[in-house]
Amino acid sequence: MFYFDPNRCIGCHACSISCKQRHDRDADADDWRTVTHLERGEYPDFQELPVSMSCMHCHDAPCEQVCPPDAIVKREEDGIVTVNRDRCIGCHYCAWACPYGAPTYGDDGLMSKCNMCLGEGPGSGHGKPPKQKAEDGGLKLSCVDNCVGEAIKAGPVSEVMEEASEAAARRFENGAYNSRVIVEPMDEDSAAGMDDVADASINADDEGAAAIPAGGSDADGGASDWLNG
Amino acid sequence: MAERGGGPSLSRRSLLKTTGAAAGLAGLSGCVDFIEGDEDRDLGRLGEAETAFGNCWMCHHACGQQLQVNDGTIVDISGVDGHPRGSAGPGTEGTLCPKGLGEMEKAHDPDRITRPYVRKDGELQEVDWDEAFAYTADKLRDLAETHGPETFLDASSWTTTNLHEVVWRDLYGTPERIGRGRHVCFGGAHLSGNLMGVGADMRFVDYQNSEYIIAWGRNIFESFAGQWEPKGVLEALDNGATLVVIDPRHTPTAQKADHWLPIEPRTDGALALAMAHVIIEEGLHDESFIEEWTHGFEAYEEAVADKTPEWAAEITGIDAELIREIAIGFAEAAPAAGIALWTGVGQYAESQKASQNVFALNGLVGNIDRPGGLRLWQGPPFSDPFEVRDIDLPNNAADETPALRKYDEYADQPYRHTTGIGHNIVPEMVENGHIRGIYTHYDNPINDGNSEAWMNALDEMDLVITVDAYWSELTRRADVVFPEAIQLEKDTLIDYAPAWSAYHDRRWMTASEAAVEPLGDSKPGFQILRGIAEEMGWGEYIPWESEAEYNEDMLANVEYSFEEIAEQNYVILEEFGYEAWRENGFNTPTNAFQFDLDEMDAYVRSIEEVEEMEGVDLETGPQWLPPGTLGEMPDEEYPLHFYDTRSVFFAFGADQPLSQQRSQYAARHGLKSADYEGNYLTINPTDADPRGIETGDMVTVESADGAGELMAYVSERTPPGFLTAEFGFGEGVPHEEGFNTMMLHTEGVDPLSSQPDRHIPIEVHANGGDGA
Repeated sequence: MFYFDPNRCIGCHACSISCKQRHDRDADADDWRTVTHLERGEYPDFQELPVSMSCMHCHDAPCEQVCPPDAIVKREEDGIVTVNRDRCIGCHYCAWACPYGAPTYGDDGLMSKCNMCLGEGPGSGHGKPPKQKAEDGGLKLSCVDNCVGEAIKAGPVSEVMEEASEAAARRFENGAYNSRVIVEPMDEDSAAGMDDVADASINADDEGAAAIPAGGSDADGGASDWLNG
Repeated sequence: MAERGGGPSLSRRSLLKTTGAAAGLAGLSGCVDFIEGDEDRDLGRLGEAETAFGNCWMCHHACGQQLQVNDGTIVDISGVDGHPRGSAGPGTEGTLCPKGLGEMEKAHDPDRITRPYVRKDGELQEVDWDEAFAYTADKLRDLAETHGPETFLDASSWTTTNLHEVVWRDLYGTPERIGRGRHVCFGGAHLSGNLMGVGADMRFVDYQNSEYIIAWGRNIFESFAGQWEPKGVLEALDNGATLVVIDPRHTPTAQKADHWLPIEPRTDGALALAMAHVIIEEGLHDESFIEEWTHGFEAYEEAVADKTPEWAAEITGIDAELIREIAIGFAEAAPAAGIALWTGVGQYAESQKASQNVFALNGLVGNIDRPGGLRLWQGPPFSDPFEVRDIDLPNNAADETPALRKYDEYADQPYRHTTGIGHNIVPEMVENGHIRGIYTHYDNPINDGNSEAWMNALDEMDLVITVDAYWSELTRRADVVFPEAIQLEKDTLIDYAPAWSAYHDRRWMTASEAAVEPLGDSKPGFQILRGIAEEMGWGEYIPWESEAEYNEDMLANVEYSFEEIAEQNYVILEEFGYEAWRENGFNTPTNAFQFDLDEMDAYVRSIEEVEEMEGVDLETGPQWLPPGTLGEMPDEEYPLHFYDTRSVFFAFGADQPLSQQRSQYAARHGLKSADYEGNYLTINPTDADPRGIETGDMVTVESADGAGELMAYVSERTPPGFLTAEFGFGEGVPHEEGFNTMMLHTEGVDPLSSQPDRHIPIEVHANGGDGA
């Protein structure tokens, strides 16, 4: 389970870069973790909200359900969604199914995405032993470990819930974001009215997004997909 | 992308093992759950790696770095928990910003210069170190004999050792030196801070203890002196502090603020005076502090007497009631209220006066060196290695007068009394034969102002010695190019201002041993300076074999050895109290915090000369100078304001070439798919639409002094009439794509401080065609 606090995200993209470096991916490859800057309003009545997103390892993993060769697996042992690139046929069905634009495709045409640092590199993680906690020697997630504002957290839902505010926990329990991610509500003093922008961008099932993305983080995939979802 | 050494391949699947699924079922229908216990793991390249440390030198603010090194290759990089610069303080997580993460790529970047070069027959040719040192010493001796050592300029910045001052000033004997703070970075504010008695500490607040933080022209979440700053502000916000951001631009810091004041450019001085007016009117000033510890309050009081919020509202565009609210909020929270101010009110022609007006507010509410206010930081008790070894250094520059104070040609440079030399005047000094050689260290004068003239001046000089890692218009123009090892390849004890940090009342030190070997034939700067010194016959003065040995002698007064600090990356030393002025007073002639600078003779002389030259009346105390009094204002031909900015991805020229940073910088603008990785001209739709400019178009920006091309980014982040672009791209810097914004600039300065005036009137037009 991922947790995101837009109030603490400073929009610096350290998460995207550390993810790329952890998995030894070229700069021009699509990001497994994207930061999108959602904008609204006209100067000076202007707001900008950074949203950091990746594969949410959904409990109902829509990508797994549509994958023709069953290359995508929602693992029972640790809940991480992995892809077996030996089976992947590069059909992009997962990209169509994913509400978050998480799957990316390299020059080989095969899908790769966040594996919660179960392994290093595209395709790694599949078939690996269960993810261990950091205190037991498990690799810390690079995005969590390098988040300057400590805005991203990940772990078992019970642990992440402990870190969340009461309001965020309540929203999650009430099914916000399809119970796929825990997100803090926006601070009322500094970002009044941005909640619906965040909701529209993170909750892909919500129709009529209020925000326009600042161009989308990637040429394909990324924010524009989940905004239009 | 760099070939990653000889590490194991990523797809290796050693120890692949399936385990029972029962190890820890998820708590909520298949949600992620990490198991406890000690299962066998697939050991990737991290599994076999060893841990090492660094102290990030990408922006030289030394956030701790933890590295995983596998067979001589750095394979992972992250922060160090509890690090004074890279965390929020004790018990908190350390991280790295995009710049700091990039040092891993820099360590193995095949584009780096890895061999010494010297100019022979007009061409730069690869040579070995012995020849490079011998060549350099010959040229230095020639220069000294023919024209005198005083014609050589030390322009080194961001060295991890202070040896350059010893070599160039004490041994070679030149009095000419250009640094960062006063000369190119935030000169106006730097001068004000020093003259008023708070030094360069006026940039940072005692964040975690603060109840009211004003980021005045500062964008702390994108441009910081170590991550302790944004982390400290986030903690303060969690603690319920109020954050006020004063900035014409909407920034990530403005987004997090309780109040964003979108001020008219260069009107900070008016806002500050009006705030003082309110604070005095409401009786919220600290009378006992003013009485006992300040000088010149009468002049201040007089200057603000008629500066009502209504008066300031007309000038600043900020509502009078809001000015009143901010002034009262700040004063009521004081002393746990602080102002963070850096380049935003440090880089325009009227910035010395404007920053003086802002800093005066600190004295008014008595927040100086009190918890939550403007902290006066104290560094560790380093010893002088030369004293430790009983080395009697000559001071060969002692009898030399800097050229600006020696020759009549510079009588029209009023800042010479306070500042000695200015960045913009150097090309003229070269023309006059007063400067004939230069030593640069990563500091690239071509992107700091008067750029075209600087390039010509570098061509004209008899001797250009440069220490750098990348080819650029600077290094290609040099006579000697020394490739320096980067911080991760050196034994480094950070001696550049190890003061401000997340530990508000403790001194600290940070150090690291080389994590990997220097790339190619590059060498640490210490070895480069020592090599030059030996060839010059000064070997006896520099007996230390290595930087680590020299560092050890800096620690004579400390209980830790260099190795002990490096092993744990940082150590926290003894406590230092607040209100240091009670014991020592302020570092000024009056021993007090100075609202009025009438006792500063050099400053008074500068003031008198500026009055005569510009035909304006100037006060030594706080005073409102409308924009345009000393600098240029937009006009019919060049109707738009231009100002350069910093992004979180880059620090001056040092890391522009790195691929991940460039790519995310493009992604941040939604332009990753464009075939362009230069800087962007941010322009409001109000200005873009009538000019037919859209995001992604290539545009030409033009001032009275220069022009260039870059990509437009149309956004509501910037106000109508006010355009910005990130500094550190284009001609002159290592990443030549994009536009060197200082090509728009020639000689404009703040005449009181020498700071190049970085607010420039411009016009912009679309290049036509389909753009990029």
